[in-house]
Amino acid sequence: MLLNLFRDIGRYFLMLQKVFSKPEKPVIYYKQTMHELVYLGLNSVGIIAIISFFMGAVITLQTAYNTENPIYPTYLIGLGCRDSIILEFSSTISALILAGKVGSNIASEIGTMRVTEQIDALEIMGVNSASYLVLPKIIATLLFNPILTLISIIVGIFGGWIAGTTAGVITSQDFIYGIQYAFIPYYITYSIIKTLFFAFIITSVSAFQGYYVEGGSLEVGRASTKAVVYSSVIVLMFNVILTQLLLS
Amino acid sequence: MITVKNLDKSFDGRLVLDNISVTFEPGKTNLIIGRSGSGKTVLLKSIVGLLEPDNGEIWFEDVLFNRLDFEGKKKIREQMGMLFQGSALFDSMTVEQNVRFPLDMFTNKTMEEKTDRVNFCLKRVNIINVNKLFPSELSGGMKKRVAIARAISLNPKYLFCDEPNSGLDPLTAILIDNLIKELTEEYSMTTIVNTHDMNSVIEIGEKIVFIHEGLKCWEGTNKEILNSDCKNLNDFVFANALAKQLKGMEK
Repeated sequence: MLLNLFRDIGRYFLMLQKVFSKPEKPVIYYKQTMHELVYLGLNSVGIIAIISFFMGAVITLQTAYNTENPIYPTYLIGLGCRDSIILEFSSTISALILAGKVGSNIASEIGTMRVTEQIDALEIMGVNSASYLVLPKIIATLLFNPILTLISIIVGIFGGWIAGTTAGVITSQDFIYGIQYAFIPYYITYSIIKTLFFAFIITSVSAFQGYYVEGGSLEVGRASTKAVVYSSVIVLMFNVILTQLLLS
Repeated sequence: MITVKNLDKSFDGRLVLDNISVTFEPGKTNLIIGRSGSGKTVLLKSIVGLLEPDNGEIWFEDVLFNRLDFEGKKKIREQMGMLFQGSALFDSMTVEQNVRFPLDMFTNKTMEEKTDRVNFCLKRVNIINVNKLFPSELSGGMKKRVAIARAISLNPKYLFCDEPNSGLDPLTAILIDNLIKELTEEYSMTTIVNTHDMNSVIEIGEKIVFIHEGLKCWEGTNKEILNSDCKNLNDFVFANALAKQLKGMEK
């Protein structure tokens, strides 16, 4: 088992070496990247917005019910909502959602290309298949996922405001005061840095699972599941490491 | 010309190809035949570099292909065209984009020139008015033709076909066989076809190599194959009742 782990790690880095080699024709890669920006990035805006809205709403309501004490000023509900969303939910939870949506998509797409010999066809033509298939996806997610995180922050705080004021747990004035109170802009940078790491992990790990799949449709399904599980676990591990490095 | 010398290939200790040496000549349709699991596909994939042989040499003219690095292989591969068993057309691209792909990747032609070349290749394989269709909208025979069109779009020097007739009806299979033979002669390509279809063997087999359990058992032409004294080859060639009957009549 340990031997398999080391073999997979070695193959992963060998694949990355191929991915980051010089592209055959940059203009083709540019077009592919634009396509992936729409396919992997723009198409994820809806799910991220919906989840962030409800996440913000729940965080606000839970903070309110857990701080029902006259000692605590109510604007702290807004502050708690803001910091929870910026520091953790928008980057990490969004990454886990994207690992499910984008990760499985990448693994099954590349895996299907592998078992139907489309990757072999690319290789026969003299195309660096790893670079052609994976590099545009990595660039697209690195460019677009920070935008998704910003959207998630904005929509999440908006969801918190709607839920808090509608449920009557906080006034609109207090909530807005809370989200402005003791704001540290570095938290946004921290969130974006984490997002960049997570985007790379999700795309490269999922692509790796698809690229080396052997067999048929059953194995493609397994690779897709592995892509989600492995990238989620690695995201969570890196979340701890990055938090320690960036906030200590 | 492609020359294979003393090629060995094994998987997990199981020898699949054992000391294969053979020469494939240009302008001829060279066939690798044998039963399922005999090692034909492994031999073809080793020749094109999709599999790394354990021992032996693969020469493309005077270049030792299997010792080249990725960039070196790339130069030879730009002269290769391959028709895969399942056609291996790119699902996300239309027929036109599939055939244009090698041109986009390796030439600096204008879009107009590329479109002309695509239309020429599609016309050459007798396919018209399908440019905007996706592979999922094509029949098996049409997919094979589009795959051939893609394979010849860069005027390759070498054409490889892995089971080109699998899943096709006999008439379409003959059409595909004839198309491969015509293109081989037209472009003076070195063509290697992997098959176990006896129709193909008789119709287009200018040079035939018979592989049995990883060993090269026989080589010759389609004129000689019916009179071979190789038992394994005869078992393969005269496997069906009709062939046995024909052999009896000949005697």
